[in-house]
Amino acid sequence: MTAMNIPVLETARLVMRGPEAEDYPDFKATFTSYRARFMGGPLNPYESWMLYAAEIGHWQIRGYGMWMIHDKATDETYGMAGGWKPAKWPEPEIAWVIWPEKAGRGYALEAVHAARHYLYDQLGWEGAVSYIDPKNLDSIRLAERLGAWKDHDAATIDGNDAVYRHPAPAALDDSQLAHGIEMEISHYRDPLFKPKGWSID
Amino acid sequence: MSVTLFNTPVIETERLVLRAPQASDVEPGITFLMDDRSRYMGGPQSRFQAWRTMGHVTGHWVMRGYGMFIYCDRETGEPLGATGPYFPEGWVEPEFGWSAWSPETEGKGIVREAAAAARDWAWDNLGWTTAVSYIDQDNARSIALAERLGAVHDPDGAHPDLDGWEGTLVFRHTPGVSA
Repeated sequence: MTAMNIPVLETARLVMRGPEAEDYPDFKATFTSYRARFMGGPLNPYESWMLYAAEIGHWQIRGYGMWMIHDKATDETYGMAGGWKPAKWPEPEIAWVIWPEKAGRGYALEAVHAARHYLYDQLGWEGAVSYIDPKNLDSIRLAERLGAWKDHDAATIDGNDAVYRHPAPAALDDSQLAHGIEMEISHYRDPLFKPKGWSID
Repeated sequence: MSVTLFNTPVIETERLVLRAPQASDVEPGITFLMDDRSRYMGGPQSRFQAWRTMGHVTGHWVMRGYGMFIYCDRETGEPLGATGPYFPEGWVEPEFGWSAWSPETEGKGIVREAAAAARDWAWDNLGWTTAVSYIDQDNARSIALAERLGAVHDPDGAHPDLDGWEGTLVFRHTPGVSA
């Protein structure tokens, strides 16, 4: 059985594994839909399959890539998150996508926080950006909740995207920001206390 | 620790080694895909698209459990091109594909040696009873290779309905048949 030795990440609610063939229909449903409008889509079925396969190949080419986000208990998929740097990308990106019907439960925040920690802590990244369509308010809001800020001077992919710069590893290490992110995630898990400005994604 | 495909086959022929794609194949593959020599297979592509194409050659192995082999010079290890079973979504039937990444590889029977070995592996391991090659009608060299491999033009064969595929011919391979 052909496979790839992609590391597995676990969080309180999630397990993140390399993209597998059986997860493809979930990916296709999103990337052939209007939801993909901020990510180069909607794609036709061939383009969608090719992109999914290329996301797997990205792991071998770069040594990192996008994880598939699964529910720890049920194994259902919620989206993808991870490191992303195809050709033309000025800098390594931290990227994410949540299936539209799974939004609003903090899964993206929890997954991206774990992915960023792995990229910083295990792979030695000294920073990262996220390239976001300026109209993609859900993603911009998530970037800001993760402590990223709009970097007006950074190179963009093609001029149609805004660059959000993530805090460097030192700024996340045992910081108020990291504690705030973890508290927000814990509030999704146990929604006794809702944080102010309950987010849209 | 690097992230790589594992449990993939290796095929040896007289002059070549065929193996699954590696990260180091990406740049030579991109050079080909950005060159006019790739014009019969959707090229020349932008660097962005070519990178994705090379990435999906690796991902195909995970998605399907098989994929295109990279054939390499047996002496130097240099990757020379890709060939083998290919079946992405949208394909009407499983395909045998091939490419030669530099003109120096052409004209020596190398692509034929690689394609025949990959095809034999697929017949033996995938349980396929037929397969096709989709070839641009103007790609005379590739048509000649298909025929040297014993494939025959199938006028009733259908091809993927994609932009720019008008004029694509379907050549059919049959197990046990080689010219």
